[in-house]
Amino acid sequence: MSKDFDVCVIGSGAGGGPVALTLAEAGYSVVVLEKGPWLREADFCKDEIAACRRSTYTPNLRDERHVLEQQDDDGAWQAESTLQSGWDFWNGNMVGGATNLMSGFFHRMKPVDFRLRSELGPVEGGNVVDWPIEYADLEPYYDRVERRLGVSGRVVAHPQQEPRSSPDFPFPPTAEHPVSARIDRACRELGYHPLPVPRAILPFPALGRLGCAYTDYCGSYGCSTGAKGSSRAALLDQAVRTGRCTVRPRSMATRLASDQQGRVEALEYLGDDGRRRRLDARVYVVACQAIETARLLLMSPGPRHPRGLANGSGQVGRNLLFSSGGAGGGDLRYAGLDPVEVAGLKTRGVFVNRALQDWYLFTDPRTGARTKGGTIEFLFRHSNAIAQADAQKRDPEGNLIWGKPLKDRIKGYFTEGRHLRFEVFSDWTPVDDCHVTLDPEERDRWGLPVARVRLGYHPRDLELGRRLAPRAAEVLERLGAVNVAWGVSPAPPQNLVAGGCRFGRDPATSVLDPHCRAHEADNLYVSDGSFMPTGGSVPYTWTIYANAFRVADRILADLGGVRAA
Amino acid sequence: MNRRDFLRGTSLAALSAAAPRAGTGTEPRGQVLDAHGWQTLALVQDHLLPSEPGAPGSSDIDAIGYLDRVLADPDMDPETKTFVLQGVGWLDDLAMEQAGRPFAELDPGPREDLLRGIGERPAGERWLSILIGYTLEALLGDPLYGGNPGGIGWAWLEHDPGRPRPTPETLYGRLGKV
Repeated sequence: MSKDFDVCVIGSGAGGGPVALTLAEAGYSVVVLEKGPWLREADFCKDEIAACRRSTYTPNLRDERHVLEQQDDDGAWQAESTLQSGWDFWNGNMVGGATNLMSGFFHRMKPVDFRLRSELGPVEGGNVVDWPIEYADLEPYYDRVERRLGVSGRVVAHPQQEPRSSPDFPFPPTAEHPVSARIDRACRELGYHPLPVPRAILPFPALGRLGCAYTDYCGSYGCSTGAKGSSRAALLDQAVRTGRCTVRPRSMATRLASDQQGRVEALEYLGDDGRRRRLDARVYVVACQAIETARLLLMSPGPRHPRGLANGSGQVGRNLLFSSGGAGGGDLRYAGLDPVEVAGLKTRGVFVNRALQDWYLFTDPRTGARTKGGTIEFLFRHSNAIAQADAQKRDPEGNLIWGKPLKDRIKGYFTEGRHLRFEVFSDWTPVDDCHVTLDPEERDRWGLPVARVRLGYHPRDLELGRRLAPRAAEVLERLGAVNVAWGVSPAPPQNLVAGGCRFGRDPATSVLDPHCRAHEADNLYVSDGSFMPTGGSVPYTWTIYANAFRVADRILADLGGVRAA
Repeated sequence: MNRRDFLRGTSLAALSAAAPRAGTGTEPRGQVLDAHGWQTLALVQDHLLPSEPGAPGSSDIDAIGYLDRVLADPDMDPETKTFVLQGVGWLDDLAMEQAGRPFAELDPGPREDLLRGIGERPAGERWLSILIGYTLEALLGDPLYGGNPGGIGWAWLEHDPGRPRPTPETLYGRLGKV
């Protein structure tokens, strides 16, 4: 019986784009459903109010939201709708998803990340496991992302450098700020090994897109030139040009229907006219970002899937991952610097692009044990003017300031120096109390249960952040920064989310097989970050893109390989 | 959030239910703010971000017009909107109790004392923080939103806004919403 499409991809972000492109190029018909609108380069501008202070790229919380559970001081779990708390847990719903808004700091995971359990042992109270694949299995796909998406950078030898099949990135680094050389010097004086940070940003026109315009407003903003490696600009536009990929924006998946044998037989969704629709395909690929992917599966029970699609193991939604770490910063004051140094510091648009991975894996001096640490990244505070001014309205004790004292503080902040920051990325230990379920009561505007996310964390992750942040602070102090401060918080960054549908060999403890096909439904794949059993100490996006290409190759093989023209 | 939270720590005995309102006629009013709310909040904003030579303040950037439009946004959180509007009444209640006149009729010194008192309570502090936030949006947001005329806020802080700038078609609320 013929299907509407060969492949149905649900979600157009980092997980969906590679699958759509690979299969469309190979001669298969692909439909990509995206809940949000199809915005393009001409729609993007650097409007702080629209992009960052209102929900332009995310749903109205009155229509759709999450329920978040956190522990109170007595250890009891308290649930609160994000409509009440205002803690928006959405990430960018539009064609290309959150990759339109990312900063594109790209790091590979390293070999140890695939074997945390074997190499470093279990973590008490955590669910650390090995991956069912090795770094070597994913390496060719990291490489493919470099070439197809466009990753710019410069490989430098350092003690934690992961193996590479190519000697360097296909594109040289984006232009760097004068402070980057100073960071290099400070790090080396401290005995550390500064790295240029790879970026999913084209430094000049290539791959049919324009290069970076160095506007100084990258993260949280859509890219008006197409230089940023969003799934849309870099992959889906090409997929559509094959003539075999259909993108349906404003189309929200509501349920995957399955038959008596447990195979997916149709996708039910709301079309852009708000009407219920249905389509079918030979293969279904879910890539809605971890929380919403788990939610869709849980909302899709069937005759052979009573607990939700592919959830016989009860693992769907479990072992959700965020990123741990911390953040801090300090002020580089112009006073006392010569005019050339001041002019250098005042430079805008170009990137700092510096990181340290000296403690990615280190020996704990207190225990002698090998310990997973993390990545430290240096960057200027985001250029958003309103946010920076608003940050001046509290004194160091947290008291509100107004009037002339506030104006003086704002003026000084903007004109007397630059605020250099650092972010620490360390592993989020998977725990039982970090998971996604369907809320028993809260419904979205279409009557569907919203995702309820329990935000438990492992205290070890906080301790790690507290050990790494001072190393970064040291570098800032070495640079002559003043007011250096940092903090570690258990509050998870909602833009760094993975897990919820672990891959593995054992169907009792995983949702997906090593190729990210559902153990219990052989025409269902999950290609977003849900597959990750552990996180690594880096932002996930490059790994998600790479794995999605790997999953795409498997789907291609399952369908019979490249079709003759 | 209620009046008691806003004013806790002050004597509630002499609070009146309704402070005298400004007369009708030619006083400015907005889409949401009545004439009294407009006048009072404009004065609060002037106090939070005063105008100085060479350094723009609320009256230079139409902060009150901007705030009124924010309150008129259909997607504004209703609780926050109610809270901002109710705060005007509570502010006047406290002014009447402590100084016998509404906020708008006080001199700057007593106004500062009043705001200090409010700022010591969590709800009052939140009210002031919200107003500062929107005033800073009026100072540094794109001029197409009606504040920051000619970019004077940016110029004061030597800030270069990102490009491309928004157009009327891509402003918040105009672009196809998610």
